[in-house]
Amino acid sequence: MVEGAVFRAAGLKKSFGPIQVLGGVGLELHAGEVTVLMGANGAGKSTLVKIVSGVYSLDQGEITLDGKPFQPATPAEAIRAGVVTVHQNIADGVVAALDVATNLTLDRLNGKGAPLLFNPRRVRREARKVADAMGLSIDLDAQIADLSLADRQMVAIARAMAHEPKVLILDEPTSSLSSAEANRLFKLIDHLRGRGVAILYISHRMSDIRRLADRIISLRDGVIAGVFGEKPLDYEGAVNAMLGQKIGLSAVAVRHADGAIFSSEHLKIAEGSTPFSLTLGDGEIVAITGLVGVGKTALAETLFGLRKPLAGNMNLNGRPYAPKSTSEAIDAGVFLVAKDRAENGIVHDFNIYENMSLPFLQRLSRMGILRRGAERTTARQQISDLGIVCRTERDEMGTLSGGNQQKVMVARWMSQNARLFILDEPFQGVDIAARRDIAAKLRASSAGRTTLIFVTELDEALETADRILVMSEHSIVGEHRNAEVDMDRLLAEIAGQPVRGAA
Amino acid sequence: MKIDRRTLGKMAMGLVGATCLMQLPAMAQDKPAPFDNPGNVKIALVRYLSTGDFFQAYLSGVESQAKALGVDLRVLDSRQDAALQADMVDQAIALGVNGIIIQHGLTESMKEAAQRAVDAGIKVVAFDVNVENDKIPQIEQSDRDLARLALEQAIKDNGESWKAGYVYVAGIAPLDRRNETWVDFKKKYPGIEEKAMFGTLDNPIANSVANQARSVITANPDIKVMFAPYDEFAKGVKIAVDEAGLSSDIKIYSADISTSDIAAMRESGSAWAATAATNPAVVGQVSVRALAQLLAGEDPGKSVIVPPTLITQKDLNDNDIKNMEDLSAKLPQFAHADVAMPAWMPNPNAK
Amino acid sequence: MTVRDLAMRYGFLALLAAMIAYFAVSASGFVSPQSAVFIFQSVAITGVLALGVTATLVVGGFDLSIGSVATTAMMAAAYVMVVLEQNALVAVIVCLAIGVIVGLINGFLIVYMRVPDLLATLGMMFLLVGLQRIPTEGRSIATGMTMPDGSVASGTFSPAFLALGRHRFDFFIPNLVPVSVVVLLILAVLIWFFLEYTRFGRMMYAVGSNERAAQLAGAPVKAYKIWAYVISGIFASIGGILLAARLGRGDIASGNNLLLDSVAAALIGFAVLGAAKPNAFGTAIGALFVGILLQGLTMMNAPYYTQDFVKGVVLVVALVFTFALSRSGQK
Repeated sequence: MVEGAVFRAAGLKKSFGPIQVLGGVGLELHAGEVTVLMGANGAGKSTLVKIVSGVYSLDQGEITLDGKPFQPATPAEAIRAGVVTVHQNIADGVVAALDVATNLTLDRLNGKGAPLLFNPRRVRREARKVADAMGLSIDLDAQIADLSLADRQMVAIARAMAHEPKVLILDEPTSSLSSAEANRLFKLIDHLRGRGVAILYISHRMSDIRRLADRIISLRDGVIAGVFGEKPLDYEGAVNAMLGQKIGLSAVAVRHADGAIFSSEHLKIAEGSTPFSLTLGDGEIVAITGLVGVGKTALAETLFGLRKPLAGNMNLNGRPYAPKSTSEAIDAGVFLVAKDRAENGIVHDFNIYENMSLPFLQRLSRMGILRRGAERTTARQQISDLGIVCRTERDEMGTLSGGNQQKVMVARWMSQNARLFILDEPFQGVDIAARRDIAAKLRASSAGRTTLIFVTELDEALETADRILVMSEHSIVGEHRNAEVDMDRLLAEIAGQPVRGAA
Repeated sequence: MKIDRRTLGKMAMGLVGATCLMQLPAMAQDKPAPFDNPGNVKIALVRYLSTGDFFQAYLSGVESQAKALGVDLRVLDSRQDAALQADMVDQAIALGVNGIIIQHGLTESMKEAAQRAVDAGIKVVAFDVNVENDKIPQIEQSDRDLARLALEQAIKDNGESWKAGYVYVAGIAPLDRRNETWVDFKKKYPGIEEKAMFGTLDNPIANSVANQARSVITANPDIKVMFAPYDEFAKGVKIAVDEAGLSSDIKIYSADISTSDIAAMRESGSAWAATAATNPAVVGQVSVRALAQLLAGEDPGKSVIVPPTLITQKDLNDNDIKNMEDLSAKLPQFAHADVAMPAWMPNPNAK
Repeated sequence: MTVRDLAMRYGFLALLAAMIAYFAVSASGFVSPQSAVFIFQSVAITGVLALGVTATLVVGGFDLSIGSVATTAMMAAAYVMVVLEQNALVAVIVCLAIGVIVGLINGFLIVYMRVPDLLATLGMMFLLVGLQRIPTEGRSIATGMTMPDGSVASGTFSPAFLALGRHRFDFFIPNLVPVSVVVLLILAVLIWFFLEYTRFGRMMYAVGSNERAAQLAGAPVKAYKIWAYVISGIFASIGGILLAARLGRGDIASGNNLLLDSVAAALIGFAVLGAAKPNAFGTAIGALFVGILLQGLTMMNAPYYTQDFVKGVVLVVALVFTFALSRSGQK
């Protein structure tokens, strides 16, 4: 730590076409330290990791490793130089069809000097050495496919460590692990830290960060928004820097709800989470915010009938509500604009009006036969209401910009009256103008239903909602009226800390 | 006595043979070794092809002759797996069989396996596969004779000058042999003009050939005779001719026969005039008999040819033949071939 | 509309027209009502199968078992009439039931047992090829055949059933249009209307394009998938009925050529009118395309292997039209 950085990057820039993803990032990694990199979706974390691991080339800037220039052209080159990355997708780190021993020594099967014949005994001997060095106790004969996710992760990391790297990059390694499994991973990371490896750890999870971080770097919109190295670490400040909230960006005329449309008690949506209650009123827009992976989508899917709550009950319009399928939810007036429209929303073979009419075909057909005229009239109405930029309602979805595609996804559900209208990350991959349009439309049409939006970006909640709920560890941990928001308390709740003073 | 029994058997075909219980022990006494004690004789049938009516009938012939002799028959079926068929010969050797019938297969894969069997002192006969071995008699149905009989009938019915459609797919050994005869006939009778040649083995073959034949008939309305020397081809051509409404204008001559062929030939106004066929059951019987002769120390000859029979529409109608059993019963030359038939040999058709 | 768009939309239809013109000039007798009807008749069976497989393609699946469903239905029809001595109606009902059952099993395997569609239907194909041989121990079925137990089957194909393959309707010219062609046309219009103009068809397309999105729009995705395989099974069994009626007996056959020809027709259909997706109209045109090609080539005395070759060329060209030229191919 004293002798200076093992890995140093300065002025890193990277653009894809006209979009600049990294705008001059500098960072240092020290031997025997865990540096946590935080950043919201699209902040540029993945791009940074891919540059360092040799997947992308750099537009500008320089990187040094041990004082020598480091510019890997391929992932293999990065590994040889001593920078090893374990990617988020575990499947990339291990070969599921092989056993543990072969996986641990896989990299030695390729390249120069690799023996021609596959000798199982030698492989096991070498694998044993690798596992022992890592303090890893896994049956070497086990098939990867039979292992838990955590064990696969361990194998992937052990395999990476067989290269004796100077720098190890872990990209959201706990995103699919349980807390017990994560603890095993943390022990392994402690072990590596003790051996003097410089570790860059990328994560949103505050519990991980509190457990591991020696330093925190917050990345926002492609630049470093804050570096926190003094103990005790300022977690709140880091989250703050990462989300970059700008208070009062656009003041919302906050309304009060007239009576509840939806309520739930003792709702439990994940093993080990705290049950919570939720009441949503007529005419109000409620935003639920929180970091990635705290259960926002799980809650949205529970409300929409895609999964069953583990405990608790829900009421809609004063009657019990327990949808067994999405069609039951829709029939009850609960609509969901799912997140990640390319995966969950857009039917790529369909044009605009066919995409819009999808959930309500029954109402747009007579005896099963489609009424195309009605479909297209409805679509034209929505196109003008939401200001969708297109030539006609028969345009293919692929010709639209991201913002307009998202408007189509919202419009799909606006042609009928909802009771509970849920939008999961409705502003993801949407330009600022479209985002304003959608928010304005939601606010203008909010009477007669309750609107629930799930957003990670705090700005989006502040711009759109009447009420903001904070979610952490699959439970609601805070509530704020969007009039005079106590930002300190809000950020503390997002960071998952006991609130000082207010608690 | 034995000859009487055989002749009687042919006559009594279709009647219940109440005496058959008495038959076997009575006959066993006059047979040469090892058939004086047939229970100890084991023979194996090693098959390459097995699906389809022809092969079913062949197997039933093998079974009936083996039963008549009283020997123990093992059937090993490789289902068109050439390597497996060779392994099965070795398996038969290991079983300690006395004789092996190799039914179809590839020369390349069977030649050595057959030699190993001969080396092990086992008697071997081969049906429709050339294993290039002097010690192994070949059982053959004469494809050239089949084609010749059908074509001679065509000449008889239609004179020596007509326009023909010909169904043929090259590369199939029996069809190639039948084709040689067709080529010879065209040379011999210059009045025969081949207007179109077509054919396919896409299954169901009859359906695919019917589609082709329709096109051919449309393109060549002057065709008078269709030579389709394989019954699946003939069925396809008949469907096409019927669909085109030309049943009375075109005559079909073919080779091979089955129960459904009989029905098709006997339909009123059927274009299918005649077919030449070897009874596959008889071929099966002859295979076993040739092997039995070898086992008894007799020589069936290097090549055992089972002669074909000409079956005309008129034969079928005159005798009111409805299926293969009727055919065997009413056309004795079809039910039995006097090939590999020493005096001691029991006739499986004699019930 | 750019030249490329025009080529995309009408290229294949232009090719079809050019082909007809070529055969009309070079093959005498090609242009006649009988010839046209015959082309339809020769593609009727594969066409019906192709329309069925189109339904599974629409939901993003595939059905390799259609050929063997057809031959199994053919064997069943023959068995019911010849061996069990039942009438035509019973035979047709049994065939359709086989189609429904096979479709349900396929759908169940794919949707609930999560067997990939190609593998599930491949398994079903082998199963059926074997199954159709069991009752007769591998013999083809015809009146007067000997059963494994030695008895003689004395039933016959009922005239009503044979009429399905042989009766011809008057259409300007007496005795012109065979039943199979009428069946093909009716089924083509039905499935085309169903896929294009009903909400169920629209939802099936949605399921095929983005299953998750369809589910989130409230569609019972599993039910739609199973229905697609049932449709495919029923169409294949209708194809089998027509086949049995044409052949007048139960023929042991794997039906693989039926499968390949019908899949080719459905895939060629992708290229028609630049649809770039499975569609009933395209499938019908695709089947017709292959039929015209084979009719013309046969009339010109081209040997059978050149026909397979030409079929392959057409398919490859159609797939290039679909994937290289269309926008969806450039995503």
